[in-house]
Amino acid sequence: MSSNTEIQWKGYAVHDTKLWDQFKVTDFEPKGMEDKDIDIKIEYCGVCGSDMHTITGGWGEVKLPLIAGHEIAGHVVRVGAKVTEFKVGDRVGVGAQVGSCYDCQRCKNGAENYCHKVIHTYNSIYPDGTVSQGGYATAIRANELFVFHIPDALPLDQAAPMLCAGITTYSPLRTNGAGPGKSVGVIGIGGLGHYALQFAKAMKSDKVVAFSHSENKKADALALGATDFVNTGAENWVKEWTDTLDIILCTVDVSQHIPLSDIFATLKVHGRCVMLALPDDALPPIHPFSLMASGVLLGGSHIGSKAEIVEMLDLAAKEGVKSYIEMLPMKEIGKAVQGMKTGKVRYRYVLKADI
Amino acid sequence: MSANTELQWKGYAVHDTKEWDQFKVVDFKPKQFEDKDVDIKIEYCGVCGSDIHTITGGWGDVHLPLITGHEITGHVVRVGPKVTEFKVGDRVGVGAQVGSCYDCKRCKGGSENYCHKAIHTYNSLYPDGTVSQGGYATAIRANEQFVFRIPAELPLEQASPMMCAGITVYSPLKTNGAGPGKSVGVIGIGGLGHFALQFAKALGSDRVVAFSHSENKKDDAFALGATDFVNTGDKNWVKDWSDTLDIILCTVDVSHHIPLSDIFATLKVHGRCIMVALPDDALPGINAFDMTTSGVLLGGSHIGSKAEIVEMLELAVKKGVKSYIQMLPMKEAGKAVQGVKSGKIRYRYVLKVDI
Repeated sequence: MSSNTEIQWKGYAVHDTKLWDQFKVTDFEPKGMEDKDIDIKIEYCGVCGSDMHTITGGWGEVKLPLIAGHEIAGHVVRVGAKVTEFKVGDRVGVGAQVGSCYDCQRCKNGAENYCHKVIHTYNSIYPDGTVSQGGYATAIRANELFVFHIPDALPLDQAAPMLCAGITTYSPLRTNGAGPGKSVGVIGIGGLGHYALQFAKAMKSDKVVAFSHSENKKADALALGATDFVNTGAENWVKEWTDTLDIILCTVDVSQHIPLSDIFATLKVHGRCVMLALPDDALPPIHPFSLMASGVLLGGSHIGSKAEIVEMLDLAAKEGVKSYIEMLPMKEIGKAVQGMKTGKVRYRYVLKADI
Repeated sequence: MSANTELQWKGYAVHDTKEWDQFKVVDFKPKQFEDKDVDIKIEYCGVCGSDIHTITGGWGDVHLPLITGHEITGHVVRVGPKVTEFKVGDRVGVGAQVGSCYDCKRCKGGSENYCHKAIHTYNSLYPDGTVSQGGYATAIRANEQFVFRIPAELPLEQASPMMCAGITVYSPLKTNGAGPGKSVGVIGIGGLGHFALQFAKALGSDRVVAFSHSENKKDDAFALGATDFVNTGDKNWVKDWSDTLDIILCTVDVSHHIPLSDIFATLKVHGRCIMVALPDDALPGINAFDMTTSGVLLGGSHIGSKAEIVEMLELAVKKGVKSYIQMLPMKEAGKAVQGVKSGKIRYRYVLKVDI
């Protein structure tokens, strides 16, 4: 409706990539308000692996000081003059993207997440020169295309991690045909993996196979909807699982875990492995022979489109997809990022706004 | 019908991988004749890149002395008692596979080319311990599953290179949906590439874009059915061709030519690049981000099934697909392999049997 002049734009920022677990509350200027923008008062923000890769400098240059966080849920407090989908008070979320060019073939055809001029939620530069700041903050401003209604059946803290981790797994499952008749593998049971299992099941895949490097997460995996659990620390797992899977989502850094050739061996003819993990370094070398053996495809994926996110949230509400979260006050962000780095969290930290 | 006792089993063999262009005629024993086997008197054999990778030792261990060649055509001279598809005198071809297990899910499901126990036409071990010997020879014995009738309209020397090069590109074009509405890129205009352009066109693709590293093959590319030609030696070619292609077949060794990230940049959202080149070494390092940008897939492919080969030959006849060959007497195999290694051939040597 009209402007809310009470928002104080500030957030927990990293000032030095060598001190990536040290956050200081810092004021910031959002981009200039435009007709299709929405201001959101943030209630919760999930902590994503991307935040880690960014604040440590692993993914390259960081515009410091930087407020990370792109699994955001809260309430609309202001809408621009041309906003049609939202009104003040709506329960909404924002994920890893806040802008695009709106004009290219991809934007016009429902693939705005693949726009070449994508504006990411943090560490991106808007046309007006503003650096985008993320959700470990009081508020965020985003174009309505990148804001999503949260269904009433989903609490905001449950919805928050779905805005990145959730959609990052939902989109490739959908795109690659997960569902009846298909066997889906999920490598790594963590922030992404715990959603991948649930969505693969919610989409009625015949088999949902969880791969983990120890027995520790077996009970969770089965509770999350896995039909099978594979401990990749065991001998012979590759032989037992050869030629069984149509689709694999890989959420782990393969250079540290399973050789790609072992992953490919589990695929059926023309099966697909979608690499969702985005480690700092290149993948281990791939020999074309390993792709040839079953004519498999190795792919990538980038978050999801609005249509996919809306569909995902509806499916999550309908099928009771649960976010396994650990809540912390936002001021304990340093503890959260340390927990992420050591792989301790089961399976997502969600920070509650406290400034 | 019945046995032909006149076949002399001999061929041009390499004896030393350091002297890979030196061939000596040697006698050899084919595998034991079984009920579904077919003996073929060879007339022609194409020279494939695989032959060079093998005889140089680039692809690993070689059972020496070895007769290579897997683009074979000739006439049936003997059929086993359980052979149903062929009779003596039939014009037939054999490609890069001569056996499989006949029993697994893949064999029974029409994907015998992906059988884990595939017997390749040369340098493979049969269950009885025989090393398979290829087509630079007087004759070959193969299970009827791996023998293909050559349509009367196709001269045998024209059909030969289609047995490997042709099907190697036809199968992924078909599998990945080349046809009306699609834009197909072909990187490298050579043995594989010259068939890829023609088949992409024959399948009805909207655009067929030839990529080559100089202008030399431009005229040929258009004659072969390309709608566009791109010289990758030019600056800006990546920008001009960004987001234009659904499918790319890459027939060149990318470590020497185009970076994979440039190739991926030409793909539309969820486009696919199928790597049909099989260099000795692994692909250059891929960063997961390279595939994220457009959610693309990188795949492999292994020859084709019988159904695909039969379909390919029919399409070749119907649409007038031409093999650009240079014929040599088989005793000049040494000259042929040198010509392939140096990239001089336009675009396939076919050896005519002379022993």
